[in-house]
Amino acid sequence: MSVPLSHVLILASVLFAMGLGCVVAWRANVIMMLIGIEIMLNAVMLTFVGGSAHWGIADGQLFALMIMALTSAEVSLALAMVVYLHRRKGSVNTDDFDSMKG
Amino acid sequence: MTLADLYSMMPIVITGGGALIVLLCGPLLQARSVSWISVVISGSAGVWAAFTPPALTPSFPGVAFTPLAQFLIPLFCLSAALTLLFSHGYNERRGILGEEYPATILFGLFAMCLLPCATNLLVLFLALESIAFAFYILVTMDLNRVESGEAGLKYLLMGAVAAAFTAFGFALIFAGSGTMALAGALAATGNRVIISAGWGMVIVGIAFKLSLVPAHLWTPDVYQGAPAPVAAFLSTSSKVSAAALLLILLAFSPPLAELRAPLYALSLLSMVLGNLAALLQSNIKRMLAYSSIAHMGYLTLALLTGTREGYAAVLLYGAIYTAMNLAAFGAIASLSLDAERDQIADYSGLGFTAPLRGGVLALAMLALAGIPPTAGFIGKFFIFYSAIRGGEMTLAIIGIVSAAASAYFYLKVVVHLYMHRSNAAPPAPTPAAESLALCCASLFILGLGVFPAPLMRIVDAAMR
Repeated sequence: MSVPLSHVLILASVLFAMGLGCVVAWRANVIMMLIGIEIMLNAVMLTFVGGSAHWGIADGQLFALMIMALTSAEVSLALAMVVYLHRRKGSVNTDDFDSMKG
Repeated sequence: MTLADLYSMMPIVITGGGALIVLLCGPLLQARSVSWISVVISGSAGVWAAFTPPALTPSFPGVAFTPLAQFLIPLFCLSAALTLLFSHGYNERRGILGEEYPATILFGLFAMCLLPCATNLLVLFLALESIAFAFYILVTMDLNRVESGEAGLKYLLMGAVAAAFTAFGFALIFAGSGTMALAGALAATGNRVIISAGWGMVIVGIAFKLSLVPAHLWTPDVYQGAPAPVAAFLSTSSKVSAAALLLILLAFSPPLAELRAPLYALSLLSMVLGNLAALLQSNIKRMLAYSSIAHMGYLTLALLTGTREGYAAVLLYGAIYTAMNLAAFGAIASLSLDAERDQIADYSGLGFTAPLRGGVLALAMLALAGIPPTAGFIGKFFIFYSAIRGGEMTLAIIGIVSAAASAYFYLKVVVHLYMHRSNAAPPAPTPAAESLALCCASLFILGLGVFPAPLMRIVDAAMR
């Protein structure tokens, strides 16, 4: 393999940190949080594919495919909730979702 | 794959197939029959699992009916069946219609049955996420209250971040060890640094699932927003399955010195902050949420010891905690009419006007506080006993002190039930299904408190 595993892991870690940063920094907007989560999961898939290539087995690629399916399910669920709450509150700002305190 | 393999996998087949059948046949049947069919499905899966001898060889790739599964599947099935019994009347009063509700509970149960059977990281992760997906939907199910939708969205967003952490942890463990099978991946023979980093990520993800401080912020909101029977299921089975996942991972790996510090901090913070925050709550569901944070802190304390005794205490406490919280949330669900009975002050005098439900709620509170004749005492006793035997003296003492302080807010509910009077009209009589479920949970609490030996034998068999 031409790309060593350590390079893949460094790239994946940076990507994961950027995704986490996106989730933390744009906490006010649900859509931005979902994008951040997608980036984090992409880092996971990259790690799996890199690991599979390093060890020469296909298990990691299978996991990456499963994560794709899982992500699409998750996003569809999240968007359904966003649409429902938007209809009720007229906003996708998390600051408006404040009916519970304590 | 032989017929015997298929037999040992039947609990998973029954719950998965049952969920589909409920979803397909639901529109043709009455709500009452759908509820009963779902109860029967989860009950039969539990009975099947309880009477099937465990096998150590995988029946399907990545799935084996382990002794741990033989212990946990009946527990999950029992709690799903009780949740369904609580839900029927509650959903009728709230107008939560349709067969999606029991079907989603069965889908969640299917994933819970799969989780302890997993023998590789992929199945483990998919089972964990499927459980979470079922709960995202269940929490949002009550369309009449805006809190329900908000709680669902919060749970999903935080849960997705936690899932990314867990997945990244699994990815690093895989990249470090080169195998997906649990036995090989966690043996720490590969690149130790990468595997340790992976463990760190997994701990972050599981800390969220177990709602350990500082990853606990979602818990009070989700418990408050979710319908009460869903909160019952969420606080018991979902937590126990996350604890089981950590238990499986720890059992397969050699003792890792670097795990002690994070688990120590999580356990300490959860026990202290969970109990302190619960002192301040006036909403009973939020109080129970903070109490569950503290209880998961106790569980982590037992996991931290890394001894066989500690792991046995985790399983024992998991079973007892399931009974206690099902009783508490079940009584709350049953006492809530068209609005949630949220405030602790709303429970004034209910010990007299609704003797069964008030009594069960009081019993659950006493058990959660760990008062001796109840199972809660046995559970706490073994947790702290194993912690002291495992050398965690300081943390055990802090835990015992914080558990003693927690008696205040549990007893506050009992005081409201029996020592305050209120002029509010008495609630409607308890439906038969709910009485049955409440009696089951209380029998479990009292029975285990007096005769803990049978359950301890079962736990011991599950550890093999």
